[in-house]
Amino acid sequence: MASVTYLLSEFRDKEAVESAIHSLRAAGINTADIDLFSEEPVEFRRGVLDRPSRMSLVSVLGAIIMGGTATAFVWWAQNNYAVITGGMPVYSSWGTGVITYEMTMLGAVLATFGYFLWESGLLRKRDKTRPVPIVPPECICLRLRCIGEDVARPTVLLRSAGAISVEKRAPL
Amino acid sequence: MAIDLDRCTGCEACVAACHAENNIAISTPEQAAEGRTTHWIRVDRYYEGAFPDVKVKYMPVLCQQCDEAPCEPVCPTYATYHNPEGLNVQVYNRCVGTFYCANNCPYTVRYFNWFDPVWPAPLQLQHNPDVAVRIAGVMEKCTFCIQRIRRGKDEAETAGQPVADGDIQPACVQSCPAEAMVFGDLNDPESKVSRMAESSRATRLLEDLGTKPKVFYLERGR
Amino acid sequence: MFATQKQPELLPYGKIREDLFRPLSGLTRKYFAAILIPLLIILFGAYAWTVQLRFGMGVTGLQRPVFWGFYIVDFVFWIGISHAGTLISAILRLTDAGWRKPITRAAEAITLFALMIGGMFPIIHLGRAWYFYWLIPYPNMRLLWPNFRSPLLWDLTAIVTYMTGSAIYLYLPLIPDMAQLAQHNVPWRRKLYRALSLGWTGSDTEWHALERAMKLMAGIILAVAISVHTVVAWDFAMAIAPMWHSTIFGPYFVVGAIFSGLAGLMIVMACIRKFMGLEQYLTRHHFDNLAKLLLLMSILWLYFTLAEHLTVWYGNDPSEMAVFGARTRTRFAFLFWGMVAVNFVIPFVLLGIRKLRSITTGVIASFGILLGMFLERYIIVVPTLSNTRLPAATSTFYSPTWVELAITAATFAGMVFLYLLFSKLFPIIAVWEFKPHPHEDEI
Repeated sequence: MASVTYLLSEFRDKEAVESAIHSLRAAGINTADIDLFSEEPVEFRRGVLDRPSRMSLVSVLGAIIMGGTATAFVWWAQNNYAVITGGMPVYSSWGTGVITYEMTMLGAVLATFGYFLWESGLLRKRDKTRPVPIVPPECICLRLRCIGEDVARPTVLLRSAGAISVEKRAPL
Repeated sequence: MAIDLDRCTGCEACVAACHAENNIAISTPEQAAEGRTTHWIRVDRYYEGAFPDVKVKYMPVLCQQCDEAPCEPVCPTYATYHNPEGLNVQVYNRCVGTFYCANNCPYTVRYFNWFDPVWPAPLQLQHNPDVAVRIAGVMEKCTFCIQRIRRGKDEAETAGQPVADGDIQPACVQSCPAEAMVFGDLNDPESKVSRMAESSRATRLLEDLGTKPKVFYLERGR
Repeated sequence: MFATQKQPELLPYGKIREDLFRPLSGLTRKYFAAILIPLLIILFGAYAWTVQLRFGMGVTGLQRPVFWGFYIVDFVFWIGISHAGTLISAILRLTDAGWRKPITRAAEAITLFALMIGGMFPIIHLGRAWYFYWLIPYPNMRLLWPNFRSPLLWDLTAIVTYMTGSAIYLYLPLIPDMAQLAQHNVPWRRKLYRALSLGWTGSDTEWHALERAMKLMAGIILAVAISVHTVVAWDFAMAIAPMWHSTIFGPYFVVGAIFSGLAGLMIVMACIRKFMGLEQYLTRHHFDNLAKLLLLMSILWLYFTLAEHLTVWYGNDPSEMAVFGARTRTRFAFLFWGMVAVNFVIPFVLLGIRKLRSITTGVIASFGILLGMFLERYIIVVPTLSNTRLPAATSTFYSPTWVELAITAATFAGMVFLYLLFSKLFPIIAVWEFKPHPHEDEI
C-alpha cells in the first residue's frame, strides 16, 4: 500500500484558495482529497468545492416516517384499547390532525439534526491519522492528501496560488 | 329526567338530599362568598319585575347528561366519557384536574374539590358507603345517582324482572315534596318521563348549542 | 456619529473574539447580586407551589366558574415570549437579513428558556399535578390512556416538538464557538466546551453540513412555531365558551406572540448591550430595526383585536355581549383600555415618531408591551369564564392570591436567572456568524 503524505497550507484570502483548488483539480486531484479548515464558513461559487448532500431528502423522509408512525400508533392504540367514546368515533383523523402535524415536524427536526451529525463527520468514526491544522485567525488552511512521497508538484501549485506557507506532514 | 317548573317551589330539598346521598362537602359562608360551594344540583333563581309585582322563577340545574357533551372530547385523560347507558360519567380516579371540562360546560354544572372535603361533626358519620369521597384536585358533578341506578338494575336482575318505570329514583327526585321531578328511561316511550318530554310545555336548556341535554324543563307559557 | 465609529465587522478579528469572550470569565460582585436575587424569588415561588401541592388548588384565587386564571395567563404569556427567537432567527435568516446576526443567539436563548418556563405551567395548574404523566402515552396496567382529541394533548406534542427544535436550533450554531472556547483557562470549562464541540475541526465538510442543517431548521422551526401558538390558542377556541369560540384566535395569538416576543427581545438586547459592554456590536441600527418591527406588530395586533371585538359587538349575541360588556365597559374596562394604551398608543408614540425613537424609549415601550400582553391574556381568560351562559352562574370577581403571584414572579426571576447563567457560559453573540460572509456586500 502506497504511503500517504499530507500537505498543510495557509492562505490569507479566499480568492487564493479558490485558484489553488482550481489548479489542483486541473492537475487531476480529487476533491475528496482536499479539505479546508477555517474559523468561519468559506463560501464559493457553484462548482468549486461542492459537497453533495442528502440532508433535505433525509429530513423529508424522517418527517414522513415519524408523522406516519405516530398517527398509526394513535390509531392502533385507540382501537386496541377499545376506548369507550359513547358515540364519538374511536379514531378521528381530523381530531388527531395536530398530533400528526407536530410529530411530522419533530421527525424533520430529529432527522435533520441526526443527519447533520453524520454528514459533518462529527459522529462518525474519525480517521485519526489525518492531521488537523491549527488555524491562525483570519486564515484558511488547505489540507491536501497525496499518495506517495512526491509532493513537489502540488507544493508548487499551492505556492503559485498564493499560499503563505506549505508544510509537509506524515500521517499521525 | 323531566322537571316541572310550574310545580317547583324552590324549597331546595333536592339540594339537601343530593348532599346527603352523594357525600358532598358542606361549605362555609366564606367559601360561598368565594364561589366555591359544591351543589351537584342547585336552584337558580331568576327575578322578573320590581316589588310588588315580582315574579320569581326557580330552576333546579344539574348535570344535563348531554348526548353530545362538550365536556367529553376535551378531557385529556378520558376521565369523563359517555357510558353505554347514555350517562356522562365522571371517573374520579382518572381526573388530573385540568379544568377543561368545567370551562367547556355551558351549564356550569361541574364542581371542583378545592381542598380535601370537611364535614362539621357529626355529619362525617353520615356518609353514603355506596359513593366515593372525592379528595382535593378532582372534578365532580351530578351522576343521576348512578349508585341507585346500579342497585335498581341489580335488584331487578335478581328478581328476574325488568326495571319498572319509577323504580329507580335519584335522591333529588325522591325528595321533591311537590313531585316536580320525574326520572326514567327516555328510550321507553311509555315511561312517564318520555310522555312528559313530549308535552307542549317541554323545553331544554341551551338547546341551540347542540349538546342534546337529557333534562326536560316543563313550563307553561312557552 | 456612525461615520466616526469603526463598523464592528471591520474591527480586528482578535478584538471581536476578545469582546465576545470576555464576559465568560470572572465573577464580579455585581454578577453575584444579580443572580442571587432571582434565585431567592424562585425559591419563594417554589415554596408557594409546595403549599399548593399540599393543601390543594384552593390556595389560589380560582373559583367556579373561573377555573382558569393566572397560571393559564402565565402559560400563554411565556409560550408567546418564546416566539422571539423564531422570528428573528428563522424569518430573518430565511430572508437573509444581515442585521439579525448579533441578535440570533440571544433571541434563540430567550425562546428556549421561555419554553422551559412556560412548559411548567401545564403541570403547575393541575389539580393533581403529581399525576401529570398520565397525559403521556406510556404502557401501563391501570387502563390509562391519553385522549389525543383533547387540545391539551395537542399542546403537549406541540410544546415538546418546539422545545426539541429550539434546543437543537440553539445548539447547532453554538458548536463552532464551543470549539474555539475549548482553549479556556478554567479546566472544567475546557472539558465542557470540548465535549459540547463534538470534536469540531472547522473543515469545509462540517461547515457545509452545518449551514445546510441551519437552513432546513430555520424553515422547520418557523412552521413549528406558528403551529405551537395556534395550538395554544385552540385551547380556548375549541371550547364553546362565549368569546372564546372564535376562528380568529389562531392567527391572533401568533401575532400576539411575535409581538410580545419582540418586546422581550428588545429588553434583553438593551440589557446585554449595557451590562456586557457590547455597544459596538448592538448598534442603534439594530434597535431601530427592532423598533420598526415592533411598530408593525403593534399595528397588526391592533387590527386583530379590533376585528375580533367589532364582529362580536356587531353580531350582538347575548352570551357574547355579556362578555364584551364586561371587557370593555364594566368590570374589566380599566384593564382592557389600559391594555390598548400600552400595546398600541404608547408604542406608536414612542417608536413611531422618529425624534422620540431611541434605545431608552424602545425599552420603555417594550416593558409596556409586556405588561399589555399579559393583560391581554388575562382579558381573554377571565371575563369569558366569569360571564357564563347561564346568567345565574356568573361569578364574583376572581383575583389572584399570593401563591399565584409568587409563582408568576418566580417565572420572571427564572428567566433572568437562566439568562445570566447562559451569558456566563456561552458567548451571547455567535463569533463565527457575526463576521459577514466574504461574498456579501452589505455592511
